[in-house]
Amino acid sequence: MNRLLLSIGVFAVIFIAAPLVIVVPMSFSNARSLQFPPPGYWLGYYQAYFTDMRWLRPTWNSIIIASGTTVLTMTLVVPATFALVRHRFAGKSFADLMLLMPLAVPHIVMAVGYYSFLGKLGIVQTHLGVIVAHTCLTVPIAFLVLSANLKGFDRTLERAAISLGASPWRTFIHITLPILKPGLIVSALFTFVQSFDETVVAIFISGRDAATLPRKMFDSIRQEADPVIAVVSTLLFLLVLAGIVAPPLWKALRTRMKAPALSSGDFQS
Amino acid sequence: MTSYLQLTGISKTYGTFAALSKVDLAVDKGEFITFLGPSGSGKTTTLMIIAGFEKASTGDVLIDGGSITAMAPHERNIGIVFQNYGLFPHKRAIENVYFPLQMRGAARAEGLRKAAAMLDLVGLKDLGSRYPKELSGGQQQRVALARALVFEPSLLLLDEPLGALDKNLREQMQIEIKRIQRALGVTTVFVTHDQSEAMSMSDRIVVFDKGRIEQAATPLDIYHRPQTKFVAGFVGESNLIEAVVTDAGSRLATSPALGEIEYAPSETAAPGKPVMLMIRPEHIRLSRRPIEGRRNAAMKIETIVNYGDNALVIGNSSGVPMRVRVLGADVVILKEGDDCHISWMPDAVFPITA
Repeated sequence: MNRLLLSIGVFAVIFIAAPLVIVVPMSFSNARSLQFPPPGYWLGYYQAYFTDMRWLRPTWNSIIIASGTTVLTMTLVVPATFALVRHRFAGKSFADLMLLMPLAVPHIVMAVGYYSFLGKLGIVQTHLGVIVAHTCLTVPIAFLVLSANLKGFDRTLERAAISLGASPWRTFIHITLPILKPGLIVSALFTFVQSFDETVVAIFISGRDAATLPRKMFDSIRQEADPVIAVVSTLLFLLVLAGIVAPPLWKALRTRMKAPALSSGDFQS
Repeated sequence: MTSYLQLTGISKTYGTFAALSKVDLAVDKGEFITFLGPSGSGKTTTLMIIAGFEKASTGDVLIDGGSITAMAPHERNIGIVFQNYGLFPHKRAIENVYFPLQMRGAARAEGLRKAAAMLDLVGLKDLGSRYPKELSGGQQQRVALARALVFEPSLLLLDEPLGALDKNLREQMQIEIKRIQRALGVTTVFVTHDQSEAMSMSDRIVVFDKGRIEQAATPLDIYHRPQTKFVAGFVGESNLIEAVVTDAGSRLATSPALGEIEYAPSETAAPGKPVMLMIRPEHIRLSRRPIEGRRNAAMKIETIVNYGDNALVIGNSSGVPMRVRVLGADVVILKEGDDCHISWMPDAVFPITA
């Protein structure tokens, strides 16, 4: 029985991980199009990616759009979260609902909506257009992450700061913001990744000038199955892997460096 | 001489609910005053109004003769220790204590030196570089106290600060807080629902109930001369006997159940006035036979609650429930269901007229 469960588990892991791992050898392939297993290996497609403007421009577009989306999302979500978590006002539950709506509505439906709406505003196929559309999609996630953090925030800390002579503004800067920083960073990171990764809306709106990386990959796989796709996938995969591994590693390093300074004196508890 | 902290006619209403009604209080400089009362009695609301976190519906708060009612809480220069301490988790102990000085524009070196001196005073000399989560509950409490005192506040407010500590640590901190308060001479308002804490620490106790001050007096007066039935019942254990004053001259009142009872001198008792006669359980003596020279009554023992060094004997005397405190050695020979006598001296009977 245990053996059966184990093999099911192993099979599931392989099934999930295989596509991730397959793109890595394919990125070093010398075949003309995506092919597994690769007939031979070379680095030509890496060179192609880093020199070809048809790939570099969408990469740059994606970075601009994801950054813009992050800035805009956080600008909207931080005050909105404080208002919705800490205050009661007429229409609060309606505002809550509207903020979370993009999570429930299928992206394809939203994409069609944005296409005609942003078209009227004349910002289809521009960076701004994609940023606005992506912001609508990322707001709910950023809001959920941040509101969870803010709900757990002990407001006694703010009262304490005020009683100690800090104005409300300085309390926010010295106490509230630093304590919420991890939540803000996670929230911003989620937003960036979500925008960078978003494809459906990008296909509808980004056009030729503001084409994002996922859109370019989609176009490419449809038209020529260029192995550069595997290169991009591998690079993104490595980037995410680094993002997952780096923080705990950094934390471990930091505590190791701090430890001697704190070990003086003994714990009495 | 005018008082240092004055509350005049403070009321607080939430809709139609009156959380506080017409609270007047005067506190002297350097006094340690305790707000005692059950939860919802208005003691914390009063504290928050002094701190500025709640707005009074009516009334005025004055410190040193000047009104602070219109001041924002951060301008009031009042130190507060909160129930769960409110230490900043991202700052080290010393940075927590330095924070109020930083907010007042102190130079960093000078501020940190002052903060270190204050940590020394509360007994945490070497722990300044710890973060709050690396400190025990008692140590966190001391940091919070140091932080509330380092900027020489005009007033120190303590909002049930010992609630989260275990019993031994609690008694230790009671002594510590008193020592530090005396050393600095800071006027202190302490909020608690624990009467033994109030008794042992305060210069004066203010008993709150239902948004009103029931009595403000020294711990001894609160215990031995409660002005209201609520105070008598809330502070310590008491026997309350309903009676009517029959002869104010010879200090006699008559209880329908127990007959004529002589009471201690009182200024408010007048003939024909209904009173509650209070007798503390430890002022009643339990005996097999009536004792001469004392007021005696027969009692049947119903329950004995043993506390080790003493016991509370609960019985019935002519239909009136009576509680008697008995020292440990006497408990051995008592049994539930025994018939015995209780007796007391007239001085132990305090008439409550309000």
